[in-house]
Amino acid sequence: MKLKEVDRTAMQAWSPAQNHPIYLATGTSAQQLDATFSTSASLEVFELDLSDPSLDMKSCATFSSSQRYHKLIWGPHKVDSKGDVSGVLIAGGENGNIILYDPSKIINGDKEVVIAQNDKHTGPVRALDVNIFQTNLVASGANESEIYIWDLNNFATPMTPGAKTQPPEDISCIAWNRQVQHILASASPSGRATVWDLRKNEPIIKVSDHSNRMHCSGLAWHPDVATQMVLASEDDRLPVIQMWDLRFATSPLRVLENHARGILAIAWSMADPELLLSCGKDAKILCSNPNTGEVLYELPTNTQWCFDIQWCPRNPAVLSAASFDGRISVYSVMGGSTDGLRQKQVDKLSSSFGNLDPFGTGQPLPPLQIPQQTGQHAIVLPLKKPPKWVRRPVGASFSFGGKLVTFEGVKAQSPQGAEQQQHHHYVFISQVVTEKEFLSRSDQLQQVVQSQGFVNYCQKKIDASQTEFEKNVWSFLKVNFENDSRGKYLELLGYRKEDLGKKHNKEEKHECEFLPSAGGTFNISVSGDIDGLITQALLTGNFESAVDLCLHDNRMADAIILAIAGGQELLARTQKKYFAKSQSKITRLITAVVMKNWKEIVESCDLKNWREALAAVLTYAKPDEFPSLCDLLGTRLESEGDSILQTQACLCYICAGNVEKLVACWTKAQDGSSPLSLQDLIEKVVILRKAVQLTQTVDTSTVGVLLAEKMSQYANLLAAQGSIAAALAFLPDNTNQPNIVQLRDRLCRAQGEPVPAEQSPKLPCERPQLSKGRPGPVTGHPQMPRASTQPYYAHVENPPPPGFIMHGNVNPNAAVPPPPSPGHMHSQVPPYPQPQPYQPAQQYSFGTGGPAMYRPQQPSAPPASSTYLNTAYVSSATSYSGHSPLYAAQHPTSSTSSPAAAFPPPSALGTSFQHGGPGAPPSSSAYALPPGTTGTLPAASELPASQRTGSQNGWNDPPALNRVPKKKKMPENFMPPVPITSPIMNPVGDPQTQMLQQQPPPPAPLSSQPSYPQPHLLGSQHFHGLQQPLSQAGMPTSFPKPNIEGAPGAPIGNTIQHVQSLPTEKITKKPIPDEHLILKTTFEDLIQRCLSSATDPQTKRKLDDASKRLEFLYDKLREQTLSPTIINGLHNIARSIETRNYSEGLTIHTHIVSTSNFSETSAFMPVLKVVLTQANKLGV
Amino acid sequence: MVSVINTVDTSHEDMIHDAQMDYYGTRLATCSSDRSVKIFDVRNGGQILIADLRGHEGPVWQVAWAHPMYGSILASCSYDRKVIIWKEENGTWEKTHEHSGHDSSVNSVCWAPHDYGLILACGSSDGAISLLTYTGEGQWEVKKINNAHTIGCNAVSWAPAVVPGSLIDQPSGQKPNYIKKFASGGCDNLIKLWKEDEDGQWKEDQKLEGHSDWVRDVAWAPSIGLPTSTIASCSQDGRVFIWTCEDTSGNMWSPKLLHKFNDVVWHVSWSITANILAVSGGDNKVTLWKESLDGQWVCISDVNKGQGSVSASATESQQNEQ
Repeated sequence: MKLKEVDRTAMQAWSPAQNHPIYLATGTSAQQLDATFSTSASLEVFELDLSDPSLDMKSCATFSSSQRYHKLIWGPHKVDSKGDVSGVLIAGGENGNIILYDPSKIINGDKEVVIAQNDKHTGPVRALDVNIFQTNLVASGANESEIYIWDLNNFATPMTPGAKTQPPEDISCIAWNRQVQHILASASPSGRATVWDLRKNEPIIKVSDHSNRMHCSGLAWHPDVATQMVLASEDDRLPVIQMWDLRFATSPLRVLENHARGILAIAWSMADPELLLSCGKDAKILCSNPNTGEVLYELPTNTQWCFDIQWCPRNPAVLSAASFDGRISVYSVMGGSTDGLRQKQVDKLSSSFGNLDPFGTGQPLPPLQIPQQTGQHAIVLPLKKPPKWVRRPVGASFSFGGKLVTFEGVKAQSPQGAEQQQHHHYVFISQVVTEKEFLSRSDQLQQVVQSQGFVNYCQKKIDASQTEFEKNVWSFLKVNFENDSRGKYLELLGYRKEDLGKKHNKEEKHECEFLPSAGGTFNISVSGDIDGLITQALLTGNFESAVDLCLHDNRMADAIILAIAGGQELLARTQKKYFAKSQSKITRLITAVVMKNWKEIVESCDLKNWREALAAVLTYAKPDEFPSLCDLLGTRLESEGDSILQTQACLCYICAGNVEKLVACWTKAQDGSSPLSLQDLIEKVVILRKAVQLTQTVDTSTVGVLLAEKMSQYANLLAAQGSIAAALAFLPDNTNQPNIVQLRDRLCRAQGEPVPAEQSPKLPCERPQLSKGRPGPVTGHPQMPRASTQPYYAHVENPPPPGFIMHGNVNPNAAVPPPPSPGHMHSQVPPYPQPQPYQPAQQYSFGTGGPAMYRPQQPSAPPASSTYLNTAYVSSATSYSGHSPLYAAQHPTSSTSSPAAAFPPPSALGTSFQHGGPGAPPSSSAYALPPGTTGTLPAASELPASQRTGSQNGWNDPPALNRVPKKKKMPENFMPPVPITSPIMNPVGDPQTQMLQQQPPPPAPLSSQPSYPQPHLLGSQHFHGLQQPLSQAGMPTSFPKPNIEGAPGAPIGNTIQHVQSLPTEKITKKPIPDEHLILKTTFEDLIQRCLSSATDPQTKRKLDDASKRLEFLYDKLREQTLSPTIINGLHNIARSIETRNYSEGLTIHTHIVSTSNFSETSAFMPVLKVVLTQANKLGV
Repeated sequence: MVSVINTVDTSHEDMIHDAQMDYYGTRLATCSSDRSVKIFDVRNGGQILIADLRGHEGPVWQVAWAHPMYGSILASCSYDRKVIIWKEENGTWEKTHEHSGHDSSVNSVCWAPHDYGLILACGSSDGAISLLTYTGEGQWEVKKINNAHTIGCNAVSWAPAVVPGSLIDQPSGQKPNYIKKFASGGCDNLIKLWKEDEDGQWKEDQKLEGHSDWVRDVAWAPSIGLPTSTIASCSQDGRVFIWTCEDTSGNMWSPKLLHKFNDVVWHVSWSITANILAVSGGDNKVTLWKESLDGQWVCISDVNKGQGSVSASATESQQNEQ
């Protein structure tokens, strides 16, 4: 397809391959005249601008020359890599002269463009070639067998390649070998070609077919094969191209007879040795494969002869041809559509006088025909055979999972083009891992989550911290897993209770020493001064006036003291007045403390004092308002311009347990794009989420948009490193964000698991639904678990999770169902009948965990099946499909009778804990990391049942029962579906559940066990071993649920460290001291009453849960760790319950909470409040 | 670390020109000068030939997998001027559509982000780019950009589907207002960016000049949630450029030279997370590149027959060289 054209009768030379942009130089050709008969001559340079779709070529410069040219070449000698135009133009003139031009000067329009010239030759110089190895060497040929080798660096004195050939003849062609730099070939119209060896300085071979009809018009060396060359013949009687191999120089290797008349020029592509251009007097331009003789292409030309043809060295698809009608055309061999290009050409042609040209050569000019202006859609096809330069030999493409697909061309095909030996064409699929540190840290994180070794992990992080801030963050995170986190937080902020105490004590002592003795007599004056007036007021019992007087007189202390005596109301008023009056620096703080208005502090403190504000909140804020206050403070810090303060907001969010905001803040402060910084963030997030799950009742199940984004980024990174299983584990699973859903599906499939097409998209959809069904909100009991553990530890060497212990002691309830027997467990298997739903689970599970879990399909092995349940839950969200039925079934029953089931008599604490540690529900966490599961459970499940019952691994427990509740504890993975009535509710073949449904929810029969959605199954599990008939039965009825959510989970997290190292040892609980037994009976009685009058399942569930949570209280009573104030308060509450004055009870409750140590009461007080509130509501 | 996990003997009888994994990385499609397209199941290190697709009459240059939401669909393009779309139905692969609207070799095919529907861009040596849009019931609508690159388009690559403005929090329900864009590279040494206007017409949006020879490949980097757009390009001139555009209007592109190789660079491919670029060159070399923290592109690996070590950072690789 024609790309460009210029109307010139000229020789042409492309700029060297190194040159960019591409130029075409033209020099008026000698021995040709155009229609004007002008004898002037010029040297022009055009730019090939392919981005310009027009046919015109842009002329860059014209130099009027005194010469006309027989030959023009453009050598790369001294190419300036920076300059646009460089190299040297070498022209062969009419009078035996060779002229060197500087093309850059021509383009610049300089007058002096000639670098050098030499007229050593006799006669016109028709042959020129540049050595491609030493570009300063130029060979030239002229009449009289003259061949010179010119050194452009020393142009004055040329060399000869050897003695002139005899007889003397014109040299029409000359060419340097393309492979061996000192080999040169020359040819003459006589038909002989001579090969010269410059090192020997003599001709080494002469090539001739002795036909005497070869008139050499073209000579070219094979681009790749040193011994091969082609000769073209101009003779119409022998219009052939001969391919010679010097190894058999007696006759041509191949003869290409594709032209009908003599060949005027040839050009061999350097880019593809299979492409040889030839143009002849038959007006054809052909492209043939000289290795086969096949014609690959015929250029669509007009009917003109071309006398010169050149491949563009730089653009391999482009060639130029100079025709006798005075035109140079630029073509592409790649075909295409020439629509719209033709018209112009036709117009120009018709106005030319082309056919008047009388050639000096005596050759007849074919009649100039105006091309037919056919209306056809002018499509020009490309080469028959794809040229080498479009054949991509190598490739490397990334694919999902950090895989790299590569293939490489088979090296060096044999020169002959000889048909390929049987090559194997391989494609390599490789795994690319570039982020080793990232992976190893991610791995560590997973292990930690699995092993629950959070404290150690945080400690390590603290030790390794590079910056103070980092250290702080980790310290804060760590505190979450320790007892008395608020206290520890305070310490981190620089406030140590003991320190303060010491200081304070000192002062007190001081004061005491100077206290005036109170022993003397005093005198009551009723004079008219203020003192007197006050005295009068006091004497008449008129506190109010007395206080007013004092205030008036600015006797604040007196006023306050009097106000106290005058009762609450007066005191409050007085306080207010005092604060209104007082101006001291700390007034606002005092105000806040006294008025309990923490919001005020947080909202208006100077942000430089954020530590103090946070400390205050830590000290005073109620559990339910604590997170929001921290949040508030964090938000303020974050919105502050100061970047240091901004980062500190992270600490606030950690205290608040607000993962989403932590992510936002952290992201803002850090460069989150690199894998390691993302890892930094994710480590904190994961740990914080754990902490939140353990210690607070904040609903961690919802994954915020930002967090989801980050987590999926993280998962993507892991996947990109080939850690697909890990990526799945970290991917939040309870979100329906499309990108996460897609990623999950992709990961699953990438693992090679065939996922039924319908299923994968569904999963994500189900999840949200499920989560909606989650039972009521859980708030307000953040830190209970921690608190409860404290006393326990103090007392017992091997502390089991507190929750369990309490149960044990407190449940003297005869109604407690006997610990489940194996048979019982067995009955639970059925709810998981279909194997299919578990398939996804398998994918999610970590490496080894997967397969093991699925075995349990033989329901005959009860323990195994139970494991199944467990693992399924922990490890995978997808298993819901299986679980949900079960779960649905549970609901109705759980509200009434469940607790007993979930809390079978405790015992065998030690042993069970070993197992319990890893299984700790919270660990299941947001990311479907199956902490316990992967490690211990599957393994255990592989054990024969008999072994499992052995005490050493705690498998003697009926796991199914315990585990079931666990689901609840993993809010993120599993959201109980609301529709209790769902048809799936009746899993076929589960007698237990069926029974449940049929039966009204009476006591706490075995049947209820499976359905009890209780978080800390772990604990309960262990109790099975010891078959103490404990007292639980009574409680199931009436405790509100939310309490359970928060508390039981937390302590587990704390204890795990200890727990794991515990020896197996039974722990018996002490009895509750008689004097406090009344508390238990009263509370339990109240719950029972509530239960019996409560109607909606929600409330019942709450009450059930509450009853369990109160075990924390009973434990404390047993250990006698509660302060007398609290004990008194509790007794007061009990009394108010007896009088059914619940509101009074609530008031007392509030008083206790606000005056006592938070950690001491947090485990049970909120629950108590729930019960009281319910009782009040129900009016029981 | 680059380690071979699967060596697939394709049994192609001539040069392989492209090898692409499907969306999940479980199936491999290859194409060759032997005019065939092959599909292998390569899960778990296996290599099961699923299909040997014959239909092209010339070397097959590229293959491209459509997003699985549309089924198992593969497009191939060939020197025979045709684009063939293959589809798996009931386990059997068959030709579902043949596009022969080009006058020369079709060098590149690329599926648009799945969010746009099933749209295939094809770049041809005839200089045109055609866009095939599936309109249902086996029908494909063709739009053609003529003379996109004089004497040939070598590569097309779609921009990720990013809605201008906020990256997350798209109002659900309504169809996001995507601006469809793709990049092409050609024998005019240019990279061009094309944008669909309101009328559904494709207009040249940008022209990126930097290469001094044919642009062999362009690869628009996957979106990683950043506002920056990134394109990698490689050329006959041995240069690989990374073009970035940080402004939202998408008009200010600036190139950064990744490296100048001594030979033609044929192909560039981004990792899914867009942080690594695989560069394959005419010397049969495959190298992996990564941007260091100071914004320099660093070669982290030389891959030879699928094997290579990986240096973590610039400094490390320097140390390795010593």
